[in-house]
Amino acid sequence: MMQREGRDPRALALRVLTFLGGLYFFLYFITPESLIEQTSIKAAHESISNGFIAVGSMAIGLGIINILAAHGLKLIFAKKGWQFSLALLVGMFVMIGVTIAHWITTDRLSADIRRVQVIGDFAGRIVEDARSEPGRYKSFAPTGVLPPLQARVAALDQYGIETTHYLNLSGTSFTGDLALQELQSECVEGAKTLTDLLIKLRMRSWNNLDQEGEALLTSVSQQAARVASTYAIVRRKESARWLSSRLYDFLYNGLFNHLGASMFALLGVYIAAAAYRAFRIQSVESALMMTAALVVMLGQISFGKMLYSEMPAIRQWLLEVPNSAAFRAIRLGAGVAGLMLSIRMWLSIESRKGGGHK
Amino acid sequence: MNGLEHATPAVIALLLIALCSFYREFVRIQRGWQHTIRRIPGVDAIEGAVGRSAEQGRAVSFTTALTDVGPVLYACLGVLQSVAKRVAQYKLKLLVPQYSPEAMAVVEDSVREAYSEVGKSGLFDPESIMFLSSEQFAFASGYMGLMHREKPGAAFLFGSFAAESLVLSEAGQQVGARQVAASVSPEQVAFFICTCDYTLIGEELFGASAYLGRDPVQVATVAAQDRFKLLLVSLIAVGVLCATVIAFVPGLAWLRPLDLLSVGWEAIAQ
Repeated sequence: MMQREGRDPRALALRVLTFLGGLYFFLYFITPESLIEQTSIKAAHESISNGFIAVGSMAIGLGIINILAAHGLKLIFAKKGWQFSLALLVGMFVMIGVTIAHWITTDRLSADIRRVQVIGDFAGRIVEDARSEPGRYKSFAPTGVLPPLQARVAALDQYGIETTHYLNLSGTSFTGDLALQELQSECVEGAKTLTDLLIKLRMRSWNNLDQEGEALLTSVSQQAARVASTYAIVRRKESARWLSSRLYDFLYNGLFNHLGASMFALLGVYIAAAAYRAFRIQSVESALMMTAALVVMLGQISFGKMLYSEMPAIRQWLLEVPNSAAFRAIRLGAGVAGLMLSIRMWLSIESRKGGGHK
Repeated sequence: MNGLEHATPAVIALLLIALCSFYREFVRIQRGWQHTIRRIPGVDAIEGAVGRSAEQGRAVSFTTALTDVGPVLYACLGVLQSVAKRVAQYKLKLLVPQYSPEAMAVVEDSVREAYSEVGKSGLFDPESIMFLSSEQFAFASGYMGLMHREKPGAAFLFGSFAAESLVLSEAGQQVGARQVAASVSPEQVAFFICTCDYTLIGEELFGASAYLGRDPVQVATVAAQDRFKLLLVSLIAVGVLCATVIAFVPGLAWLRPLDLLSVGWEAIAQ
């Protein structure tokens, strides 16, 4: 169905890619779900969809280049309104810098917290695995078979001691408000208790898991979970004071979000102005609109019910019947039109002249 | 059909009918068949609004607002091309504020093509297609500022809109621009009717580009969508009729032809 316009190899390649991409999603849509589940397509589908999203996200780079080109040139040649371009570029770079700094610090913070959480998870997993059949196959183990219990406990002990030592070092600043100091001290005390429990692990044999050993590992797991949760609160409270967090909070939550909210607040004023303009009865349509609006408004308030007890029911009928029907009609028409245009885009059918988009 | 991940047999049948309908109209157009498109006052007003701007020597603004790359954007591009050609012929200033970086590249290409089609490539100013923000209200704020600075004589609002629709159209009203809006978002249509001189509702947006451009392929698309819509409306009428009959004669409950639309492959296999 393609026209011969596609002699340009770039345009032809685009058309072929568009067609193949569309064909994949079309076939995925029309194939029965049971058939999809029997094949490996289901698992690959998410990756394929993410691939398309990744291609789309490249447009962010395109957007940044466009901004730099348009506003950078304006600034360099000192064209009219260059001050606005300067403000935009400065704002953009400051926001990019602050967001990257904030991202790096929160990423490090999450890794630190996770490091502590792992102790509890690891101890819990050892107990869980030891309870089940020993030596059974485990897909997550590198060799496919779990290492011996003794080796795993030794690894837990070593990792736990290293991490709690790190906790003891980082938690000794005792600065800030009283609540934070209390939490810091709780964290250090908890880490000491955890170290004691870990030392106890060394003092016994781990050839098999008896009741006492299971209780000890469970205590390690629970204590580590407690320490991890306190540590997470302490670190998050501390991180809120960092310069990158404070700048990000000020620029994004303090400035940007509130400016957006101010714009949204304008809507209230504009709705009143637009309503006034619309409700000047100049034609049969506006009279009809005015009457419907009046009924809906009266149906919403008790005064309307005082005037006529059936007013809320009429309001409900207006909203549910004529209003819904009109909404559905608009959606149906737009949906069908969108479907036909999608078919045309999928097959890259365009005229040689007029309306032909690349 | 919201959230339908895999088509049922009836949906596949409807899709095939849609494809056949499109193919039939496309073949007819190639054989020289001429369709006529009903006049839409809002579409006629587009030309009038640009003409008025030319008389006043004011700029023309066209925004696709929150529209991302997709069928709606392509429908808007047809109208944008038509507006850009007239703007180029009248040597007016064109303002195309953008929300989506992806759409911006396509829009720029489209406007450039329109200028070159009327032999006015030299008049094309890439800065007329400006990226404002991909944040809804930051875009609305930028658009308001632009309207108040440039005071365009005509403002076209085509595409997908959300809560910012009224902010955009009120800004146009305040500077006395003649406004034509077209939206596929039914919730925003009421706001546009209140604030714009003309409003195209739903699918009229798709028809506008075919009407203005008289492009045979676009006209064939409109013809195919009308045929397909006729089929869907007939199905709705049959459904309403059957539901009414069942309400009066409950014994005829098996008479639910539209239930076929939701019957899956498993039920057929059984």
